Amino acid sequence: MFRFQSLDEDCTLEEEEEGQVEGDNDIDQFNDDTFGAGAVDDDWQEEHARLAQLDEGVRDLLAEGDVSSASLPPPAGSVPHPSSLPRPSASTLPPPGLEERGGGDLAESLTRLLLGSDPAIAGVGAAESDRSCFPSMSHAQGLSASLQASLLSYQQHQHILHRGPPPLPQMNSHSIWENSMGFGPVSISPGLVTHMEDSPLMSIIKEVGLPKRPPTMRAEDCLDLSERVPPPRSSSPIIGSPPVRAVPIGTPPKQPLSHAFNQQIHCPTAVHVQAPVQHRYPPPFPERLSPNTLLNIAVSCPGGNSPLCRPPFPAGVGPILSQIQRAQLLNSQMGPFPRGGPGPPPMLPGGSVGFRPFFSQPPPRLGPHPAPPNHNPIRHNTTHLHPQHRRMLTQRMQSRGDRGGRGGDRRSRDPYSNLMTQKEKDWVARIQMMQLQSTDPYLDDYYYQNYYEKMEKRLERDKDSIRKEPTTKLITPQVAKFEQTYRPVQFAGSLGKLTVSSVNNPRKMIDAVVTTRTDDEEKREKQVWNKRRQILYTVEKVYSLLLEVQDFEKKFLQTPEEQREALLDQHKTHTLQLYNSLKEKEWDDRVSDEQCLMIMSVRKGKRLMSRLLPFLPPPQAAAVLMGIARNLPGLAKKDKQDQVLCWLVEPVAIVIQSMSSSALTDLLQELQGSEGQLPRVLQNKFGVTLLYLILSEGERMQSSDPNCQLMDDNRWTELVFSVTRELLKVPSSSLSPPLFTPPNLLSLFSRYVDRQRLELLQEKLQITALSR
Amino acid sequence: MNYMPGTASLIEDIDKKHLVLLRDGRTLIGILRSIDQFANLVLHQTVERIHVGKKFGDIPRGIFVVRGENVVLLGEVDLDKECDQILQRVSIEEILEEQRIEQLAKQESERLKLQAVKERGLSIPKADTLDDF
Repeated sequence: MFRFQSLDEDCTLEEEEEGQVEGDNDIDQFNDDTFGAGAVDDDWQEEHARLAQLDEGVRDLLAEGDVSSASLPPPAGSVPHPSSLPRPSASTLPPPGLEERGGGDLAESLTRLLLGSDPAIAGVGAAESDRSCFPSMSHAQGLSASLQASLLSYQQHQHILHRGPPPLPQMNSHSIWENSMGFGPVSISPGLVTHMEDSPLMSIIKEVGLPKRPPTMRAEDCLDLSERVPPPRSSSPIIGSPPVRAVPIGTPPKQPLSHAFNQQIHCPTAVHVQAPVQHRYPPPFPERLSPNTLLNIAVSCPGGNSPLCRPPFPAGVGPILSQIQRAQLLNSQMGPFPRGGPGPPPMLPGGSVGFRPFFSQPPPRLGPHPAPPNHNPIRHNTTHLHPQHRRMLTQRMQSRGDRGGRGGDRRSRDPYSNLMTQKEKDWVARIQMMQLQSTDPYLDDYYYQNYYEKMEKRLERDKDSIRKEPTTKLITPQVAKFEQTYRPVQFAGSLGKLTVSSVNNPRKMIDAVVTTRTDDEEKREKQVWNKRRQILYTVEKVYSLLLEVQDFEKKFLQTPEEQREALLDQHKTHTLQLYNSLKEKEWDDRVSDEQCLMIMSVRKGKRLMSRLLPFLPPPQAAAVLMGIARNLPGLAKKDKQDQVLCWLVEPVAIVIQSMSSSALTDLLQELQGSEGQLPRVLQNKFGVTLLYLILSEGERMQSSDPNCQLMDDNRWTELVFSVTRELLKVPSSSLSPPLFTPPNLLSLFSRYVDRQRLELLQEKLQITALSR
Repeated sequence: MNYMPGTASLIEDIDKKHLVLLRDGRTLIGILRSIDQFANLVLHQTVERIHVGKKFGDIPRGIFVVRGENVVLLGEVDLDKECDQILQRVSIEEILEEQRIEQLAKQESERLKLQAVKERGLSIPKADTLDDF
């Protein structure tokens, strides 16, 4: 029972092979006529009777001696097919016994019998049966030799007969026999038992067992790639969701088949898949038996310590071991066929999973396998060969290779190299490349782009000097938008829209509805937050405009001639928008205080303002400045924590320098503003700096231009007077040190105040005479 | 020289002998067999090399799978230069002994330092043992 279960398990894991084999053999697996009720002729009873007779005859013969291999004409192997027997080549074995006994006649009669039952091959088989009889007869002894020949001929026939239904579901029928060389008497699992009755051959095998496998075959065939068992194909439909697998999505491709899955994961555009209709016949005998399990079955029986008593041979181990073997194959194929390795293996499973000489331990000691150059194609064909035959071939090739490839470098002798297939390497590289894809490199990787440009410029400059090759990255091509639109999976011929949820498109489980609470308090709080959010939003908008304007230069240089006009226009509109953003109402030409203040109340807004000012035209800039000056105390209070107003100094200085004298006077007036404003201004660093800037600008105007209008009315003088008064009055402690002290303040003050006061001022403000 | 971005540059290093320094201070030397996008490494015939002073000892470890984030650096070992080494190779037991002695000495000095500092009334906050970042 247990055995049966384990076999069954392995069964399911090898579904892949089935598909492949089908493809190879063009067999319609699922056709009723092939395997089901329709396939059986009406006269199955008759046939059964015949076979039963045969069975008795064979049994008698075999009872006298060992089973040796001779070849029953291979077509005989196809006989059991209606009864869905797995071992067509099973038929090869008992009849050998017969033959040995001198049953050339018997063999013939058998052949005729068996052949006759299957009309499809009747004609063909008969013709060849005789032929194959002879060679096998001559090798009556030497188990392997005869077996080899028989199998070889069987193989040939298999090729020919492939148009008919396969010997048995999938499992390359001969495979089992090839494997089970070393079996003792086999107690077939219950799964087989059901069909035992049908086949005389199977019963024979049951009794006699299978020929012993020659142990020497082990070492040489470790390179055989046919031992790879592809992983189980998921039974879930490949619709929308990634296939159900035990391994997470991030695992590299193991098999070429899984590569397809990976493709699907990375490119969700693979859609419109119709769930493959698969109805299978329950395997009468676990056709999906991995050769490993078979081996284990066989090995287990004589000893009684069945490996199947242990957990069944994990199918997962199969591929891993074979990966090493694949690697070795690759090693041996170093050179002209570096990629030849993975090629044949995928093709093999279909035809030749069969041949796995041993599987109990990984190939440990592998001597060097010098690469025969034409290894590849021959390898492929040898999969259908008898193990010994194959061994001979490889030996021959090796000897050829030995002579040729003696001087292989160390790497070719490393049996473990190339464990990572080229496909896997490409997969890793592809992941890294995908991460670099970008539609706008200046946006995604600004610093690298700049750095790169600098490097290039430098290299150009240093062209004449030592030319060091720069390390340039491989950049992925500008595959811009290739997967932007995700069309959900649609089923052909379905009514309506069926929702298929997947990783990329999760199903909506909850309908989330936004409900607003009408609590008063919350409302108020919200209002506050809303206002703030509003401000921030405005700031962001203006920022993006500003950045556009600032980037104009760069973009201008990059665009070709034709597009420069358009770019220029774009730039103008942007700058215009920038001005407008500071106005509260569209029709009001004046810069709105409200808006500016609003922006300035946020730290980011202040920064924005400092960057914005250079781009504004003078009158607007002046207006902004007025606004700032007017509301400086308020701003200063808000800024106490951040102290970011000082960012404004530079742009403000520039603006001031471009101001007219009247504007300047106005500005000074604004700064002084209401009663008590000046002291507060003086308390703030920015305020003091601003004041100094204004004064120094005024001084500069006066000293440079004798016709300056500054002195036209007394406003300037009065203002300066009041400033000096204030400066003297204010205690030193509340006077904040400015960011910098303009040099010409002293000269300014010397105009307006007497010596004593001047000295006082000097001391207070620490303006030295040197600064004159 | 063009190189691939990120982990893909390790592809060229496959099947070559490498020295890998781990975050916990261990030094592994092995043949790099396989990588993935996180720079997880599969090292074959790995040997852990312990260095104490001018001596070193190798402990054969077999196959290592190293999680990428634990690697500080790795570099290919020049097989020619590996032969002529200034360091002296010793047996495993000896090097482990040396390592133990070195550890003790370090702990001792650390303790003394801490004591001296305490005597002066200062305190050095003990670094968290798991503080790798």
